[in-house]
Amino acid sequence: MTELNPNQTARRSPLYRRHQALNAQFEMVGDALLVSKYGDTSMEPRLAISLGLADLSTLPRTGFKGPGAPQWAASQAVQLPEQPNTAVTQTDGSMVAKLSHQELLIVSDVEANSSLVNRLDQQQLPAQTYALPRADSHSWLAVTGLLGPEMFSKICGVDLRTHKFAQGQIAQTSVAKINAVVVRHDLGTTPCFYIFSDIASTEFLWDCLLDAMEEHQGVTIGVAAIRSLAAAE
Amino acid sequence: MKRLAAPYGSLIDREQPIEFSFENKSYQGFAGDSIASALAANDQWLLSRSFKYHRPRAALTMAGQDANTMVQLPSNPNALADRETISPGLAVMGQNYSGSLENDRGSLLGLFSRFLPVGFYYKAFFKPRGMWEKWAPLIRKKAGLGIINQQLEPDYYDKQYKFYDVVVVGAGPAGLQAALTAAIDGCEVLLVDENPSLGGALNYARFDAEGTIGTEVRDQLVQEVTANSNITCMTNAVVNAWFADNWLPIICGKRLYKVRAKQTILCTGALEQQAVFHNNDLPGIMMSSAAQRLIHLYAVRPGKTAVVVTGNNDGYAHALDLLDAGVTVSAIVELRNKPKASPLIKAAKKHGITIKSGYAVYGAKQRKNHLSAVEIREIVSPGICADSGETINCDLLCMAVGYTPTYQLACQAGGQLSYDDKSAMFTLGNLPDGLQIAGSVNSHWDLEACLAEGARAATIATNTLGLSQTEVPAPLAREKHSPNHSWPIFAHPKGKEFVDFDEDLTIADIVNATRDGYEHIQLVKRYSTCGMGPSQGRHSALAAARLVAAATNRTVAETGVTTARPPFAPEHLGHSAGRSFYPARRSNMHYRHLEAGAQMLQAGAWYRPAFYGEAGDRDNCINREVHNVRNNVGLVDVSTLGGLEVRGPDAGEFLNRFYTFGFVKQPVGRARYALLTNEAGVVIDDGVACRFSEQHYYVTATTGGVDRVYQNMLKWNAQWRLDVDIANVTSAYCGVNIAGPKARQVLAKVCSDIDLSAQGFPYMGVREGNVAGIAARVIRVGFVGELGYEVHVPQQYGEALWDALIAAGQPENIQPFGIEAQRVLRLEKGHIIIGQDTDAMSNPMEIQMGWAVSRKKPFFVGGRTISELERKPASRSLVGFVINNSKAPIPKESHLVLDGAQMTGRVTSCNYSPTLGKPIGLAYVQPQTTENSAADSRQIVIKSDGGILVTADLVPLPFYDPDTLRQEL
Repeated sequence: MTELNPNQTARRSPLYRRHQALNAQFEMVGDALLVSKYGDTSMEPRLAISLGLADLSTLPRTGFKGPGAPQWAASQAVQLPEQPNTAVTQTDGSMVAKLSHQELLIVSDVEANSSLVNRLDQQQLPAQTYALPRADSHSWLAVTGLLGPEMFSKICGVDLRTHKFAQGQIAQTSVAKINAVVVRHDLGTTPCFYIFSDIASTEFLWDCLLDAMEEHQGVTIGVAAIRSLAAAE
Repeated sequence: MKRLAAPYGSLIDREQPIEFSFENKSYQGFAGDSIASALAANDQWLLSRSFKYHRPRAALTMAGQDANTMVQLPSNPNALADRETISPGLAVMGQNYSGSLENDRGSLLGLFSRFLPVGFYYKAFFKPRGMWEKWAPLIRKKAGLGIINQQLEPDYYDKQYKFYDVVVVGAGPAGLQAALTAAIDGCEVLLVDENPSLGGALNYARFDAEGTIGTEVRDQLVQEVTANSNITCMTNAVVNAWFADNWLPIICGKRLYKVRAKQTILCTGALEQQAVFHNNDLPGIMMSSAAQRLIHLYAVRPGKTAVVVTGNNDGYAHALDLLDAGVTVSAIVELRNKPKASPLIKAAKKHGITIKSGYAVYGAKQRKNHLSAVEIREIVSPGICADSGETINCDLLCMAVGYTPTYQLACQAGGQLSYDDKSAMFTLGNLPDGLQIAGSVNSHWDLEACLAEGARAATIATNTLGLSQTEVPAPLAREKHSPNHSWPIFAHPKGKEFVDFDEDLTIADIVNATRDGYEHIQLVKRYSTCGMGPSQGRHSALAAARLVAAATNRTVAETGVTTARPPFAPEHLGHSAGRSFYPARRSNMHYRHLEAGAQMLQAGAWYRPAFYGEAGDRDNCINREVHNVRNNVGLVDVSTLGGLEVRGPDAGEFLNRFYTFGFVKQPVGRARYALLTNEAGVVIDDGVACRFSEQHYYVTATTGGVDRVYQNMLKWNAQWRLDVDIANVTSAYCGVNIAGPKARQVLAKVCSDIDLSAQGFPYMGVREGNVAGIAARVIRVGFVGELGYEVHVPQQYGEALWDALIAAGQPENIQPFGIEAQRVLRLEKGHIIIGQDTDAMSNPMEIQMGWAVSRKKPFFVGGRTISELERKPASRSLVGFVINNSKAPIPKESHLVLDGAQMTGRVTSCNYSPTLGKPIGLAYVQPQTTENSAADSRQIVIKSDGGILVTADLVPLPFYDPDTLRQEL
């Protein structure tokens, strides 16, 4: 099998050098090059149940805003959350997050099986509906595991404990002093928090998260571990 | 090391001996020992020297509440020896002494105390004028206690947020009961205590003659609390302040917890107060509760022969504890004449302890820095003793004369501290919603009452949270008999009756402060420094208030106490700072710059390449980069430039109102310079507005200004309510500027779907297409004065774009250039940089940007002011200059332009121009400089480094390519 190298793709995560330094093995997920796993460890899925950090930044996502955006999205067979700051998972595994009454963030499933993002991006937009380049304005990180809320409490002022911050809930807040959108999107039975934040600050945020995870023995994980968590009942 | 047998010593682990040193001498203690307790077990009582008179000091409270125990640790000074635990090899030193701790030369100062009255510094060093400057270095050298180790690597401190329904501060009987009640009602409870174990006074105090009730209650409550999953216990943790909405900073170890509580219950207890008499600060004299802590927590016998001075029944309990621990109690000196009979008094009498009712300790004597005897005298009236008394030899004096509630947090929350003259006690009231108090902080002393009050406070909290609907019992009446003696203060002809141990303030100091005219308690504090030391008046506030009240013929209630401000306890700067967060932004090409040898600089949070090459070869590197752009082709990362999408039917109208130029009629496919002014007509940003469709503009802004521009756009449109959407997409796009005469040639190799010809894609044109297979926005710009294209692509494709252009440009010898070269290039072209060539007063006309202002449109932000300014004569003008004298130093930004001795302007930009072969620059000058002289003879004088005057010739802008033939190739 040919070893995949981020340098060979046009679209590169701002973290790919960090991944390489951690002996990451990469795999293609749809059109996105993602870390499959780090090193040879087979422990990642188990450790991820406790505390894991993954980079999903190359996966598809998009955004729309404007007074017409929700109505237009609904007309495109998108299931919308009723309230702002909540997210719903679509039947194809993608997720639609309502950031305000007029703004939507739409992200792929982690297997990139969903075609929703691409389909919406190719549509002609009606009046008062505007596309947002969320695939490139924001990085996409995932914090997995039962200790996630405890780790977050060191760098984020929102109470993300699982009994206070429900599945599908969104916090638009500050994480490690940078703006971030945190969405709870569990993987199987494992708590998972997606973090969308300024893509130019991704390395900074990644380092802060690793630092905060250290006392809880958190680990970086690849998409294989994510897959494993998602499959667990 | 002498220890009492178990069960004494609840905090120590006798299985774990620990070696440490104090004053370079080895000692042994046990795990769990504080420095003070371990030393006391080794009969080492002297810990420190006092701040002013260098008096010998030892443990006073054994609770980390006084400055007596401050010692020097390798990591930090002023560590509290009765709070800090020992660890293997810990090297502890005393502090604030000259010579040795035992024989401190500084203690001679005490002999001159009569010459060092209160206000001494103000009086002695104020005159003659200028004297303070001479004294200050000497005084400052003497001030302070410990020594900061500046070589030490700082420890890692951080912060953490926590959220609870109820936070209970203090895990004594009231706190334990409050936590338990709230938890049973379903609250998430945090129980915080500054001590190592739960229980508070239950761990050491005696509540009954037999000395059993406390332990029984503690064991039961602690067992229930620790078994309740709704309760989180945090010990060794200090709630260091109360802030609005129950925001509580809690320090535990090297972490500051930022806790949000829906309800707070303060069960902070009470602080025992000292009696005030001659030499009341000697080692061997301590609070009764301190002696109990030594016995019960650390299994240390606090002395061999003791005297207890008391004004309440607690003193008898303490005496019984001493007896149980094998201490001989020579006497109980009872301040009251006829204490009411109680089981405790009865028990003390049964043990045959001598009780001297109506007596006071009048003075204490020392031998080898330790108490050797006390002189007791009969009290003839409050504060006045008989002319003679008797001396009792002892090495321990326990003081049990009263308490003050630990009121600090409650007062920070707005609670009112009142003084009841009858009970001689401070009481708390007027508490805000969401805050309850219970236990001895609320002046309840009976154990049953404390438990009931704790439960009551919790019920109020849980009812408020809607978690219970329990009927709240009426508040308990306070006990009839106050534990506070109304006047345990006895002046002595020789003074040294210390009111404030931190600052060595005596009765006379406090009284003299009032006589000097400082009658208000706040003024007394500032004049005398009473309460300003490390313990913040914990043991001086009550006595000082009583003394000031008496000296000014007021009641203590009228006198009051000083304000209790955060923090409650000293905290390390590391706690406030926490983990360092320095947000850093990098473009997707960041590592390509590093690989190419770039020297990076930070612009705001962004990292940008300054130039490529060795730092020591800066000028040559910049010159090479400039030369390559002028003659060949260069590539610069412009990803940090702001990017704003302005879309919608009113997008053109919006930009028309927002920027100075006209945009409604801007053709699609064209870019237009966009100059932004504020309401005062001051230039605050610039960029280009690219019209990609009728309803879509992509507007660039400066790196440092884009956030402000975006906020201003949102603000203005909130007023204008135009049908337009504004999005800040700065991070979403990476950008490069490929510039130089061969730019088109290189770009054409990787861009086939855009007609790049001069006619097909003219200067200031904008196009969308693919560059190296990446969807791109391409803008023909001329910031550096050459044929140039800005290529903007989605962020995560930035590195691939860079790679493709560098590869495509190899035959043309394309080279990256940094922002330093870009600055030179733009200067040669006469382009300004907002923020460098402008300031908070710059208007478009004085920076020669009048051409960028539309006079035809009805409105734009700042337009009205600009039209007014245009009617008035200009006060300055930004002009270009060259320096033809090759030997003259190159002026720098902000160097002054002089007319004789008068300052008439300043330089804003100046660089050596490789293209022109001489320094060029921009400067603000007075308008007449440019108007009144013949064009070829206009000169300015610049005061350069070292005061050297440099003559510069004013020249028309731009310096380079005045006909703009290069950028329009």
